[in-house]
Amino acid sequence: MAQVKPPFGRVLLRLFTVQASWNYERMQGVGFGVAEEPFLRELPGGQPTAEYRAALARGAHFFNAHPYLCGLAVGAAARAEFDGASPQEVERLRTALCGPLGSLGDRLVWAAWLPFASGLALIGVGLGLGWTAIVGFLLLYNAVHVALRWWALRAGWAYGTRVATALRQPFLQRAEAALGPGMALAMGAALPLAAGYLGGPFSSWGRATVAGVATIGFVLLRWRGLRVTGFRFGLSAAAVALVTAWVWR
Amino acid sequence: MSWEIQSLLLVWGTLVGIDLVTVPQAMIARPLVAGAVAGALVGDLGTGLRIGVLFELLQHDILHLGAARYPEYGPATVGAVSAAHAASGALGLGLGAVVGLLTGLLGGVSMTAVRRLNTRAVHRAAPALEAGDVNTLVRLHVTSLLRDGARAACVTAIGLGLAAGVRWYLVGTLTTRGAIVVAAAAVGAALAAGTAGVVRLVGRGPNLGWFAAGLLGGVAGAWLR
Repeated sequence: MAQVKPPFGRVLLRLFTVQASWNYERMQGVGFGVAEEPFLRELPGGQPTAEYRAALARGAHFFNAHPYLCGLAVGAAARAEFDGASPQEVERLRTALCGPLGSLGDRLVWAAWLPFASGLALIGVGLGLGWTAIVGFLLLYNAVHVALRWWALRAGWAYGTRVATALRQPFLQRAEAALGPGMALAMGAALPLAAGYLGGPFSSWGRATVAGVATIGFVLLRWRGLRVTGFRFGLSAAAVALVTAWVWR
Repeated sequence: MSWEIQSLLLVWGTLVGIDLVTVPQAMIARPLVAGAVAGALVGDLGTGLRIGVLFELLQHDILHLGAARYPEYGPATVGAVSAAHAASGALGLGLGAVVGLLTGLLGGVSMTAVRRLNTRAVHRAAPALEAGDVNTLVRLHVTSLLRDGARAACVTAIGLGLAAGVRWYLVGTLTTRGAIVVAAAAVGAALAAGTAGVVRLVGRGPNLGWFAAGLLGGVAGAWLR
């Protein structure tokens, strides 16, 4: 591979918009191509070449993964292009990465890190920390968010077609193992504090109503056969309450 | 509420709306953040935080997995704060919840509509994309981004409009008792949704013990406060 200075900064900035053109045909594909493009400009011959255009067309093909880990695939695919991998190899690499990156990101971020950070913020608000809890949440969450995006991009570029090695990094497994209990602990503590915080303005019968609705709602939501969602239950409860309020004047 | 504040809420709701999926997913779209900032903008941080906590709990019932469809609570929270600010305590909470839930529904539907429009645009541009035309690629991406910005602005504007309607019509119509019923239903539903979502996430494995320990700690903390 010719010596190139990878434009990590520009690619990282574009990766923040990777889902902007999300669609049902190529999913993140167009965003992937946009993010990968600064790398491809460094291909021998630059933008006017047929290699550049072919690589860009491949970059915009179907792709879908966790947005924070997309950089791993972008870096790996771009590196494979630089290393002279065949078009079929690059396509196979991209296809092979969709599932693992989606699954890892969902488990690590959506199901662990985000609820953990949100739980801490709810605890902070429940304890009366106000702004401190909100700013703390944003700083804590985004420190890991940006670091994960940065690591993913660098690792993808570093490993290229051997990118599966990056996914076996011990720190990812350790993070997943630690975040599960942390999330459960934080959210466990957050729920009663949030209930106390929201219950503040109610009289005793109002609190009894809250408890009644919460109990009925929890049972309905856990009863899988009913296909009730929190949103549907909330909307129904609000509608019934409005009618009740109207009648009971 | 002055036009200046309404405009600031509209800008904030739009930023919150595009943060959810489009850029930069920094979680300003979380109801807790959206509500706190909206509360600060209307000069009522307490109401903003309370509405934020309510919708944050509802948000915990949602997992953003794959191409899942879900209601959008960010701009909805901004509209809800605008409605809740009209009345203090439980009444504000109830009105805010009604406005927020309706706006959340609209937000979810609008995201699907924008994705369909994106799909059509990508389909039309397929030959240029297959030819590796960088200008088409970037134009497609930027247009989609702007489309989501317009969507978020529309959803927020409708939420603020709903809030104005609710302030004008419901505040003087509902009795205190009726308002408490609406607010209690909304808070109860949010607690149910939040708890069910977290229990689903925790599962029946070893994390259940940690969840129980947290629950005990939270109960103690709430009782001590």
